[in-house]
Amino acid sequence: MLEQYFSLFFEFVKVGLFTFGGGYASLPFLYQMSEGYGWFSVDELTQMIAISGLTPGPIGLNMATFAGFKTAGLFGSIISSFALILPMIIIASQVFRLYKKFSENKFVKTILYVLRPTSCALICFVALKLFYGLVLNNDISFAHVNFRALALVLFLFVLTFKFSRNPLIYIAFCAVIGAASYFLK
Amino acid sequence: MQKISFLNIFKAFFKIGLILLGGGYVIVPIMKQELTEKRGWLSDDEICDYYCVSQCLCGIIAINMSILVGYKLAKFKGVLAGVLGMCLSPFVSIIIIADVLNKIISIPFIEGVFWGVNLCVIILIYLTLKEMWLKSIVDKFSAFWFVLILALSILKVNPALLIILSIFVGLILQIIKDKKNA
Repeated sequence: MLEQYFSLFFEFVKVGLFTFGGGYASLPFLYQMSEGYGWFSVDELTQMIAISGLTPGPIGLNMATFAGFKTAGLFGSIISSFALILPMIIIASQVFRLYKKFSENKFVKTILYVLRPTSCALICFVALKLFYGLVLNNDISFAHVNFRALALVLFLFVLTFKFSRNPLIYIAFCAVIGAASYFLK
Repeated sequence: MQKISFLNIFKAFFKIGLILLGGGYVIVPIMKQELTEKRGWLSDDEICDYYCVSQCLCGIIAINMSILVGYKLAKFKGVLAGVLGMCLSPFVSIIIIADVLNKIISIPFIEGVFWGVNLCVIILIYLTLKEMWLKSIVDKFSAFWFVLILALSILKVNPALLIILSIFVGLILQIIKDKKNA
């Protein structure tokens, strides 16, 4: 048990340190935890992402709290949130003294120039993996495509051309479709 | 400047945490409203500057901002008040939802709902990516770097390693640029 608390702490310090560019950038690390430790399943993680987008507060923090709770209950969620925030407190309060000089520094600028596409690629990989699992049923040969799921994803994709980026609308819509598909089964 | 107490900072950030929905830029108008207009603790410009700095730091933008603002208002006492205030309501709401979800997830109807919601997450990630894309993929090198990192991810390279690699490459790029200019 104690060992698990330590790994949980260590893993979330890592998330706090290596996340660049918003809450979704922490997803690759959460997937790694799910695969490496089996603390929660990929399905559970996907639920966490949806719920974290629906509840108040920063998405990254919500996901960390949720993952900690799934792994080791209330105490687990305290450890995971604390571990996530700890590197930020140390680094941000040091950077405070540099203030604007920091974001205008040429090294910081060039590093971010490289880090931004990295974050995009890591997040893109998570989306591909989800698509692979939920729509292709983990079969690259397209032999087990879930056509219902494929139709819903394509429909949502088309909606994004026309409608707002507000995630709440999409989640609410999908919840209704999901409920309907249960009754129509 | 007047001294701002721990409790007042905590209260202000508790409210921000409570009304903050979604991520990224949303934090700026909320902080302007709560900290500048209602309380007059900071100027609009300061909040925009903190947002710029927060974007350059590792971790979560909203939390980095609460650390910077808290530090500005009352040094480490302010950091503590800001972070605790910001995190309290998200933390409590997630605990409650996670607990309830544990109990209801095996109901077939709820499973159906989450079938839809889980698929929706693919689109949510896509929407986030679309927003990041314009700022991230700006020239040939960044496009190449995106493809390279995606390929390495598919080959199961550790994401933390890829972040460290990117920081390293950024450093080298800047050193090369400096040498060229010198």
